[in-house]
Amino acid sequence: MTTTAQVTVPAGTTPPAPPRAGRPRRAGLGERTIPYLLLAPAVVTILVLLGWPALQVVGISFRRLDLGELVRGEVVWIGLDNYRAVLSDPEVWTVVLRTVVFTAAVVAATVLLGLLLAILMRHLAAGVRTAVQVCLVLAWATPILATTTVFQWIFDQQYGILNKTLVKLGFDSFAGFSWFSSGASTMTVIGLLIVWQAVPFVCFTIYAGLLTAPRELYEAASMDGASPWQAFTTVSWPSIRPLVMLATFLSVIWDFKVFAQVWAIRQGGPDGGSTTLPVLLYLKGIASRHFGLASAIAVLMILVLLVLTARYLQLLLRSKEGDLS
Amino acid sequence: MNKTMGQRVALNTVGVLVAVLFAFPTYWMITSAFKPSVELLTPDYDLIPLSVTFDNFVTAINHPGFTVHLTNSLIVTLGAVACSLVAGVLAAFPLARLRFRGRKGFLLLVLIAQMAPMEALFIPMFLLMQDAGLLNQLPSLLLVYFAMTLPFTVWTLRGFVQGIPFELEEAAMVDGCGRFAAFRRVILPLLGPGLVATSVFAFITAWNEFLYALVFMRDSDKQTLPVWLSSFRTVFGTDWGAIMASSVLYALPALVFFMIVQRKLVSGMTAGALKG
Amino acid sequence: MKRWTKVMTGAAAIALATAGCAGSGGTDTGGDTAEGGDRTLTVWLMDGSAPEPLTDALHSEFEQAHDGVTIKYEVQPWNGIQDKLTTALASQNPPDVIELGNTQAPSFAAEGVLTDLSGDVDSLNGDQWLDSLKASGEWDGKQFSTPFYAANREVIYRTDMFEQAGITAPPTSRQEWLDAIAKLDAKFGSDPQFQPLYLPGQNWYALLSFIWDEGGDIATKDGTTFTAALTTEEAKAGLEFYKQLVDVSGTTAPKDNDEQNPVQAGVFGQGKVAMMIGLPWEVATATEDAPDLKDKISAFPIPSKNAGETAPVFQGGSNLAIPVNSANADLAKEYLKLLLSEKYQTMLAEAGMVPGASTDLSPLEANPVSKAMAEAAKNGRAVPATPAWAAIEAGQNPLKDMLTAYLTGAKSLDQATADANAALDAAFSSGA
Repeated sequence: MTTTAQVTVPAGTTPPAPPRAGRPRRAGLGERTIPYLLLAPAVVTILVLLGWPALQVVGISFRRLDLGELVRGEVVWIGLDNYRAVLSDPEVWTVVLRTVVFTAAVVAATVLLGLLLAILMRHLAAGVRTAVQVCLVLAWATPILATTTVFQWIFDQQYGILNKTLVKLGFDSFAGFSWFSSGASTMTVIGLLIVWQAVPFVCFTIYAGLLTAPRELYEAASMDGASPWQAFTTVSWPSIRPLVMLATFLSVIWDFKVFAQVWAIRQGGPDGGSTTLPVLLYLKGIASRHFGLASAIAVLMILVLLVLTARYLQLLLRSKEGDLS
Repeated sequence: MNKTMGQRVALNTVGVLVAVLFAFPTYWMITSAFKPSVELLTPDYDLIPLSVTFDNFVTAINHPGFTVHLTNSLIVTLGAVACSLVAGVLAAFPLARLRFRGRKGFLLLVLIAQMAPMEALFIPMFLLMQDAGLLNQLPSLLLVYFAMTLPFTVWTLRGFVQGIPFELEEAAMVDGCGRFAAFRRVILPLLGPGLVATSVFAFITAWNEFLYALVFMRDSDKQTLPVWLSSFRTVFGTDWGAIMASSVLYALPALVFFMIVQRKLVSGMTAGALKG
Repeated sequence: MKRWTKVMTGAAAIALATAGCAGSGGTDTGGDTAEGGDRTLTVWLMDGSAPEPLTDALHSEFEQAHDGVTIKYEVQPWNGIQDKLTTALASQNPPDVIELGNTQAPSFAAEGVLTDLSGDVDSLNGDQWLDSLKASGEWDGKQFSTPFYAANREVIYRTDMFEQAGITAPPTSRQEWLDAIAKLDAKFGSDPQFQPLYLPGQNWYALLSFIWDEGGDIATKDGTTFTAALTTEEAKAGLEFYKQLVDVSGTTAPKDNDEQNPVQAGVFGQGKVAMMIGLPWEVATATEDAPDLKDKISAFPIPSKNAGETAPVFQGGSNLAIPVNSANADLAKEYLKLLLSEKYQTMLAEAGMVPGASTDLSPLEANPVSKAMAEAAKNGRAVPATPAWAAIEAGQNPLKDMLTAYLTGAKSLDQATADANAALDAAFSSGA
């Protein structure tokens, strides 16, 4: 069982320093172009297929682009009118706030659950671990059309299995309880649905990170008589920290943007009580075919997201190497 | 880190509980697929289905276009996953290990590229594909899914490369490996679990995408499975039993894909590590 | 590599050559050009609208009558159709004939993306058009889309249960309807799962009937602008009747959902429901897993408060239109002419739909369930023909929220109607 790449970690040494970028060195022209060559496919793809359309969205947000203009290929600049229309709606700030709070709650729950589950998975018997993994993948892979419907059935007022079970367990007040009659409880159900589908990704990512931490380090730590908590903080955490931050960051972006699930459950109702920014975008922009307005809301979304992730981006920009670990 | 028997049992019990909790909605989907449509929602207590039928699966498989759409979905999804992984690994390595001008700019680009809501992008994206003459052709979808999953893939794989202690690579280079060889022999095997996570992510994202598939592919024989799935909803009502049965069929390839990459990459990783 | 390039160039040349031959005397773009030669007419109809025998016959007749014309018929799914139509209309080769939901039609017309058909109404069988669909096709005094077909709700009931409860004839007034509910309840009420009438809280189509029956409306029209009218006494009375129905029938249907969730036909099919307000084809869904119910189901029009009349009903359906940038508008008009002719309209009626361009509803009378629909169809109405309505229906429908809030007691009648009224007005002003 001699193992990995001859790293000898003598007992007592600190675990490996946080990864850092390669040391600077004088490099020849060939060597200097290597990073750019390696990056080229990704850069080109992102610039052409995401960057360019995104730039156009910004442009469209200053235009009136309804179906008519789109079909006739007209370009009608209207300055800030779309932004005025969006921001003058007193509802919009409620919606922004609701979206932010919702995102925060869902992300916190997702990352925490995902992290705990990833740690738990390491300690499970192989059979149980496979079972957990299969269940997670299924939760993740189930089509949205099916999951949103199944959730509606489970939470159905009269015939839902949840209310029926709660009544059976003696909570009689849940007979005929309506989960979708207020914005708050509707958001809770939607939140559960999203957490359920988002945890698998976070869990697998972090679990993968845990696996990359060489086993010897754990053995070394345990020989040192480190408690499980110490082993975690000194061995596991450094190797998964960037991944946890990454998962948090990505979850913020995704959960903020999540549309299909929120829409399918109650189209943002009742009384607009579960309307989030993407729902607003769809309702005001896409469904009514005011694509300029839709683009303005999209830009607003990006701005809010930039504010939410500012700290992370700031760390990225400030750190000398652009590292976040 | 040896645990007592009691601890082991406790942990595994928690594991089983978690599995059950996570499986429940899926379980509900599967049992719904086997229920006759009048029993989908009933006043009776039906945690275990009251009666079982295979009709829904028969309806699902006989619904026109299943094999065509399945093939289209597989082509587009696997193609996008492959492109995304290759471009992702290529980009992740320099981002994590090398220093060069424009690095931060690229990192920011990758981060911000994920912020635009896809629902707002579809008009410019449609016009772009139209100009490129790719409408109604599978490569257009492949490209979109590639682009949708790439930032995530780059960013995640970069995280995984960073998580690999630099000393490992250094040691290999000291051993006389070049940088490329060090990458291939040390980093790539250790990236196994990361590749599992990212490829499953990319697979599921592409596999589930509906809007772009609907809008880009005009001919029905070019459509993908999510569009096929939604065709059970008609003006005459929705055949939910058939949707659930189809959803079961639909989730299976993702599971199979996961099983394959999981086995390949995790075992690959251990083997790589053992070889040293 | 070199050889391949040669082969490819050769193939391309051949392709161009054949394309050139096909267009008689044209240049090498033989395909879709307007003058003479081979042309392709792209027709988009919605999933489930025209039955296949109809389209088969229609298309072969059309192709025979028009030499060199091929019909490219594409059946579109309802899901996401808005986005698909949007991009298709903006594309370089839009479809030539499209089907639009009647509540969507005004928004497309207002955008100016449909061909003005005002001059063709007569040749398109215009004197037979269904009023409500004709109205949906109008915008600013012009006709932008033609009726296609419609359907309206009716009360679907179990004949065996009515018989056992001693109800000899289907109700023809609100009072008789309420009496029937009482009789059914007396007969079967001992079964806790029995419901004389299944009525979910958000069946706003039923609510429309009641409001119209009271003489009210959801909005009043002034030119092209609409003002919500839910706070009127008539509208409130309609809402009160809805609640009365829910209360006396003791329906266990969810108050916070519509007839699709759960699918009411499925609940009906479980055999513990005597009536539901639905569309004729829901009977097929209900009996799918309960074939023994097949000959125990009939229907009657939604009764009016005025004895002997039927309540006005919301007519859902489709319109047909020609995109403004269609390259084959002339052919498309010919196509519409054929589809709206008596022969094919009769086929539509035989398939169980209210034909949009034929006043002859007799083919519907063969079946008691369609017959009831045909009877009520004479009193068909439409939702406000405003571009704003598409968005209201696509998403947050204030009428649904109003119903749930009122029925669950979360809001008083005045509060619920006032809130919904404000929401409708906001939608009317922002959507246009």
